[in-house]
Amino acid sequence: MSEEAKQSSSILIWLTALAFLIGMAAIFIYVPTEQMEGAVQRIMYFHIPAAWLAFFSFFIVFICSILFLWKKEREWDIYALASAEIGVIFCSLVLITGPIWARPIWGAWWVWDARLTSTLILWLIYVSYLMLRYQTEAGSMRARFAAVLGIIGFLDIPFIHFSVLWWRTFHPPPKMISPEGLGAGMDTSMVATLMLSLGAFTLLYFVLMGQRIKVEKMKDEVEQLKKDHLYSN
Amino acid sequence: MDNLEYLFAANVFVWGGIFYYLFRIKKYQQSLQNDLNLIKEAIKKGSQSE
Amino acid sequence: MHTGALVIAMNRYLNQVRAIVWKDFITELKTRELFSSMFIFALLVIIIFIFSINLSIVKASEIGPGVMWVAFLFAGTIGLNRSFILEKENDCLQGLLLAPVDRTALYFGKLISNFSFLLIMEFLILPIFMIFFNIDLIPHLLPLIYVIFAGTLGFCTIGTLLSSLSANLKTRDIMLPILLYPLIIPIIIGSVRMTSQVIAGEPLSSMTNWLSLVLCFDVIYIAVSIMIIDFVLEE
Repeated sequence: MSEEAKQSSSILIWLTALAFLIGMAAIFIYVPTEQMEGAVQRIMYFHIPAAWLAFFSFFIVFICSILFLWKKEREWDIYALASAEIGVIFCSLVLITGPIWARPIWGAWWVWDARLTSTLILWLIYVSYLMLRYQTEAGSMRARFAAVLGIIGFLDIPFIHFSVLWWRTFHPPPKMISPEGLGAGMDTSMVATLMLSLGAFTLLYFVLMGQRIKVEKMKDEVEQLKKDHLYSN
Repeated sequence: MDNLEYLFAANVFVWGGIFYYLFRIKKYQQSLQNDLNLIKEAIKKGSQSE
Repeated sequence: MHTGALVIAMNRYLNQVRAIVWKDFITELKTRELFSSMFIFALLVIIIFIFSINLSIVKASEIGPGVMWVAFLFAGTIGLNRSFILEKENDCLQGLLLAPVDRTALYFGKLISNFSFLLIMEFLILPIFMIFFNIDLIPHLLPLIYVIFAGTLGFCTIGTLLSSLSANLKTRDIMLPILLYPLIIPIIIGSVRMTSQVIAGEPLSSMTNWLSLVLCFDVIYIAVSIMIIDFVLEE
């Protein structure tokens, strides 16, 4: 890794830490407690950014999968893998925080509500994607198959969304993006805090991506060195 | 309404999850760095003895 | 002149597809192992469901469509699993890929044979289902055929693509359902909903949203498969 890249990555890490510090202060000190739901409503500032990040990661997997099939460069395969892993992590966090929020408000851990259900299905798709990756030996076949799954998995999202929506829904209608405009149903301080949290989580995504990509590149380097020097003679 | 314990639980999971993942990546990086150093050393030795 | 060349190319392509379908049918007629196992498996699924739900409490017409589609789904997975693994044995797939055949023709051939095996099995299961669940399907037969047709096609489009993929894996029999089931959940929800509405006597026009969802799924995944099958069946 070059000095410059190292420096910019450490700047990114400090920036993320700072963003989270400010974000936490906003979530726990600045923003007023919601009157209907009480303290538990503060979960929203983790729940929504995690959901956004999961979706964003899966979108990146989709883009990288297309680019891999097109260009056949190992780089894109690495990006897709890293993004899928991070997406699954955050999708799991959504699936954990969702029930914790629902329990005091709706009175049940799990409700087969549309958005919770689609998140669960999404999680299953990308877990199967990762299983496919872990169970196949490294090589062009694994990369190609994963890319194919990354594409068809993402294209499935609109179908899942509508089928589950028509199946049933209890979720409060989206407050953030409503027909009246961005953040209409919410207090300004709440919107500001949510935005801050979204920003901090997005920065975190890039930090995690950078670290995960580094792991994969080191793995490649080890393999390459072994192949070149240790096996040949 | 008092439901702080739920907020606490959610935080534990979120931070636990994120830091566990970071920790695992860091550990993996370390072990790979170890491997890299070992291999490089082995290569150096091999080329010296030739 | 130009159209003539196009027609010839079309005919050649269709012949290729037909040859693959024909090959699958001949093999099946000789061995009869796939069809019989699919049929018996579907029957077993239905019977196990009948034992695990109390039909004196639950209304048969409410639980029936779900049970029917689960049976189709599980039996269909057996068929899909076989379709490319069979070619993997004795390296038949290698031969097919070496033959001067377009990869998409291979996909369509496999899709058609999977689809028709599953359809035949489903129409043999229907009368048994009718008797076991005491549901009279005959007045609703035409819309029911539409629904089964659309749903099964959706299952087979993505299933054929994934089975061509999973046949190359070490853990192929396990991986196919794990990869396939989350992706076809929209099809399952749609088909079950439409089937129960059809059984309740509603016309197809009252469920255009579901019907268009399932048909869109079919069309999009056929298109996507054509585009990416080359990457799956690469040497």
